[in-house]
Amino acid sequence: MEFNGYKRETGEYGVRNHILVTSSVSCANGVVAALGRKFPDIIAVQNAYGCGTGLEDAATGWLIIAGLMKNPNVGAALIIGLGCELIQPQLFADAVKGKPVEVLKIQGAGSAATTKKAIEIIKKFKKHLSSQKRVKAPFSELLIGLECGGSDALSGVTANPAVGVASDLFIKEGASALFGEITEMIGTDHILKKRCVTPELGEKVQKLIIDHEKLIRELAGPLAGLTISPGNMEGGLSSIVEKSLGCITKAGSAPIVDCIGYGLRPTKKGLMIMEGPGYDIENMTGMAACGAQIIIFTTGRGTPAGTPAVPVIKVSTNTRTFVEMKGDIDINAGTIIDAGKTVEDVGGQIFDFTLAVANGKLTCAEINKSEPFSYAKNHMSG
Amino acid sequence: MVNNALRINPADNVVVAIRNVKKGEPVVVAGETLFEAAQDVELGHKIALSPIKSGSQVIRYGEPILKATCDIQQGEWVHLHNTQPELLYTAP
Repeated sequence: MEFNGYKRETGEYGVRNHILVTSSVSCANGVVAALGRKFPDIIAVQNAYGCGTGLEDAATGWLIIAGLMKNPNVGAALIIGLGCELIQPQLFADAVKGKPVEVLKIQGAGSAATTKKAIEIIKKFKKHLSSQKRVKAPFSELLIGLECGGSDALSGVTANPAVGVASDLFIKEGASALFGEITEMIGTDHILKKRCVTPELGEKVQKLIIDHEKLIRELAGPLAGLTISPGNMEGGLSSIVEKSLGCITKAGSAPIVDCIGYGLRPTKKGLMIMEGPGYDIENMTGMAACGAQIIIFTTGRGTPAGTPAVPVIKVSTNTRTFVEMKGDIDINAGTIIDAGKTVEDVGGQIFDFTLAVANGKLTCAEINKSEPFSYAKNHMSG
Repeated sequence: MVNNALRINPADNVVVAIRNVKKGEPVVVAGETLFEAAQDVELGHKIALSPIKSGSQVIRYGEPILKATCDIQQGEWVHLHNTQPELLYTAP
């Protein structure tokens, strides 16, 4: 199967052709913000960090910001630096191949002059990208992120299983998929281990989940049991395994071929786990840095959050959220419980919608320009 | 009849109520009327598909999620009062 994408010189294909402007350090964000106001159709991402941190956190910042610049949906990138920060903007630009990349520094020129120069660069980028057309792209070049947030008792009944059906269909047709949020795998390590393609990978995944459980208990102490909360129990969940089983159904039944670090580029094709936090915004940022071109996001209580440069498809678990948050949700999986649809029906609907998004259809989060951005720090260990 | 419960996996021995089910109401899964609900069961909660003996596993998503702590009859509500987690929330 194929989609229609924008071909990059690296051989990758984007489902969008964005101009990205970002910063190597937060001190430069005034210029990024000004450019976002001047050109509302570009992706302007303010880096909240970039200096005054330990080397490990600075390295994660580099990985995530450079990863976003490298994302196949980005056609051209401009990075604004200050001049004295820990990791210089040129080091971000050096990581990006096969597309126009420019670097500007504010020190020595001032923000007004830097903004003026940036405006000329963006106009140049627009001219360059406007002539680019979509071409046939193989499914093997598609990487889809799978996400759940604001879960409720129905997440594991409607939306997640339906996304699992869609994920299996994509994998069968040669695409790859990524799921993470290790907190929401606690209790399922024995199951995910069995789905791994090699015993070594199975051991690695099991250790990752168990180590994460230990970390949560260290951090949360007596509150650790709140990973299954009173709200979860009132809603019908009786054990952490049951809750996590509901979360992992979004990954369907395909074998797990790899487990990659937060924001790192996959080297294999198929279904993979990405190390990362349960916090939606940071998990999506990580998947975008990995090169995911689309994210499918299930939600029970509802959230409008997308992520910069990557279309996020929202699937509600129930009709009430779909109706109350009309304009934020793309697909209603609540039809499985109140309109006679099956999990397979909605899975097919999600597959078709995702393909349409790949070919240019805008999601609610894109239309609303709802693209919060932050990244997990301290993620290079374990 | 309108479905009021859903089974995720063929190996499951519980179904999930997809609307509030009243005691005595027929439990309807995939268009088939199975049995009567032995109690009120709220949306999102579990109903036993078949008797589950004390000490036996509750299977959902094709996996053991709980262990029955007393004999559970077909049609009964399955939750914290008659089960305990199959895996304890402790890592080795």
